[in-house]
Amino acid sequence: MRVSANSFSDTLINQLGNLAVRQARLQSQAATGQRVRLPEDDPVSLRRALDLNSEFSSTGQYSRNIARQLELAQASFSGIKGIKTLTDRAGEIATQVDDLKSPEELQFFAKEIAEMIKQAVHIMNATNRGDSIFGGTMADRPPFVMTLDANNNVTSVTYQGNISLAETEISEGVTLTSQTSGENNTGAGARGLVSDSRSGADLFNHLISLQNNLLSGNIAAVAAVDRGNLANDESNILYHISSNGAIQARLEATDALVRERGLAIEGQVSKEVDADLAQTMVKLNQTQTAYQAALQSGARAMSLSLMDYLR
Amino acid sequence: MLGLFGVLNMGARSMGVQRAGVEVAGQNLANVSNPAYARQRVAISTSITVQSEVGPQGTGAEAVSIVSMRNAILDSQIQTEASTHGMLQAQQTALQYAQAALGTQIDRMATGAEGATAAQGVGGGHGLADSLSALFNAFQSLSANPTSMAERQTLMMKAEGLASQFRQLDSRIGSLSNQLNQTIDSEVITVNQALANIASLNDKITRMEAVSGGPANDLRDMRQAEIEKLAKFVKLDLSNGSGGAINVAIAGVDMITNNQVVETVETYQVGNKTYIRAESTDAFLDIKGGSIQGTIQARDVALEDVRASINNIANILIAQVNVTHAAGFSLSGSTGAQFFTGADAATIGVNTNLVNDPSLIQASGVNGATGDNQVALQLAQLSQVEFIFGQTLTQAYGQTVATFGQALSTVNNDLANQDTVDKMLLSQRDSIGGVSLDEEMTDLTRFQKAFQASARLITTVDEMLETLVNMKR
Repeated sequence: MRVSANSFSDTLINQLGNLAVRQARLQSQAATGQRVRLPEDDPVSLRRALDLNSEFSSTGQYSRNIARQLELAQASFSGIKGIKTLTDRAGEIATQVDDLKSPEELQFFAKEIAEMIKQAVHIMNATNRGDSIFGGTMADRPPFVMTLDANNNVTSVTYQGNISLAETEISEGVTLTSQTSGENNTGAGARGLVSDSRSGADLFNHLISLQNNLLSGNIAAVAAVDRGNLANDESNILYHISSNGAIQARLEATDALVRERGLAIEGQVSKEVDADLAQTMVKLNQTQTAYQAALQSGARAMSLSLMDYLR
Repeated sequence: MLGLFGVLNMGARSMGVQRAGVEVAGQNLANVSNPAYARQRVAISTSITVQSEVGPQGTGAEAVSIVSMRNAILDSQIQTEASTHGMLQAQQTALQYAQAALGTQIDRMATGAEGATAAQGVGGGHGLADSLSALFNAFQSLSANPTSMAERQTLMMKAEGLASQFRQLDSRIGSLSNQLNQTIDSEVITVNQALANIASLNDKITRMEAVSGGPANDLRDMRQAEIEKLAKFVKLDLSNGSGGAINVAIAGVDMITNNQVVETVETYQVGNKTYIRAESTDAFLDIKGGSIQGTIQARDVALEDVRASINNIANILIAQVNVTHAAGFSLSGSTGAQFFTGADAATIGVNTNLVNDPSLIQASGVNGATGDNQVALQLAQLSQVEFIFGQTLTQAYGQTVATFGQALSTVNNDLANQDTVDKMLLSQRDSIGGVSLDEEMTDLTRFQKAFQASARLITTVDEMLETLVNMKR
């Protein structure tokens, strides 16, 4: 092949240009650690990375949803525990009452029960972040309203919440609620905490009955009716304690899975877009060596011509 | 027999031939860096033969013409490949601009809004994919805290951010489309100028060759360079005209016939897109190559697909979110409000009533139940619904980016291949027509020595003549 004055320099320029482009690409990969940065680099890998990023973002949100549900479950548990303490004491009083107790003592017990009802209403009207915990989805109002008589005894406690519970998504397509409604006498859906037709629980009315029986000195009714009713209430609360514990355990287990998935996604994104650093550095060294060799050989060859020998 | 005077004439002719050789070598050396130039050679032929007592006898040599070292097939191939290169180059440029406008890249070093060091968008890490995810996450957060004003305000911010991103993206692609139109406008001016230049060179070549009888090599070089320059913009059909002229046609429409420009090109608008046609007849030019065609293809195919796809995503998002949201109830019990305004990526906005008062966001499915989150949850779960060919909205955006990336990647590969073809052809042409300093210096020496030898012949004949004249004494 005939080599002209320009073909030599043109070829050298092309070779240097190609090597410079290759060097720039490898240097960029080494500096960023990424093989794929722009859509043109590897469209398929970029697509997978975008999908994984979206999934990663969702897992972060699921973790936050789980944290919120855990917070709610813990707030609910705190209320349930308070109610349990009150029912325990109410059961004690109902058990202690017998014919040996004087009317004054019964009045004191009645007074204590009245205060316990008020305390229970207070607990059941607790809020978390401004929302009622035990009012179902009627979050903007206290779930329980009590009425008192002239002697400051509780005559009734009514529920103004509902039985709907707000479910939150904790992983794709899986929803869960850690809410507990205060009352559910419909016979369907999640059990009510203080009143539930299926378990026979009706804590406020049972406490009011105990209060009234103590006030009237009707010891027989306490023994025959109230003790049994309170046992039902306690049993229902125990159900909620275990249910709450199960929900918290499920939330923690799901959170661990979601976090693991997040870590796995990071690894998958890395596989799709990250550069093999060792391979990149070796290639970069090779390219730099070739670049140096091209420069040196080019400079040496171009410095010679026939004119160096003609006089 | 030539006789001494005949030999004297032969020496004089020989000196003329060697002088012409030196002149051509000088011309070659002067044009060593001119890429349009093809090296020239003096065609030397033996002079006429005369009869003598000892048989036919030569009368020396003479320069018959100056030949340009060109290969017509290579020139034709280079011109054809110039159109392909121009088309691919224009596509690559347009698509790279669009890639920047799309604003999606993976930056593993960046930290996202949620602390994630995974794939992020550019421009502060707010690519459309991230913004879509952020909106659906905000719906999720609202479903977990349906009465929270903080979550409602966050949702409004994310929704406004997404709407703004859609509008910006549409606007960027729209501006890019306009810029490509302007590129076509300016390239059409260059095309018409090149047509005029070629016709003018045709005219000069035919006149010069008619007078001199030999090829006007330098003018032909200039015309070939002008043709190759024009071929980068539009694919050409060339044919031989009369007297050394070249006729030029574009998409079957004659543009240059001999030394006349018989037609020019002009731009015209279809909607907001610029195309080209023949100026005097308004005939549509179905050009198959060149940068103008590359620009039109990039604008009308890849860019249009991206824009349509993003509009589709925006349209579905607006419709689905609105119909779901309208069925819900706000904290104050109001219902029926739209979440988004507009209908596509260019017009999408967020209902200003909701922005001004986030309590009006209709997250609840039951009137009066402020803690209900059914609608918020449905809105959040729209992120998992496969609306577009079995893909969610975020996946559809990823597909759009990937399809676009594939188009650019294909053009990059095609252009790299085309570069190889171009370089091989140019190298082949250079090996035929490129000037070699070594060759020219050798030729200079050769012609110089031959010139000296011819001069010595004359000196010798002169001495012989002097001897002859002195014989009389």
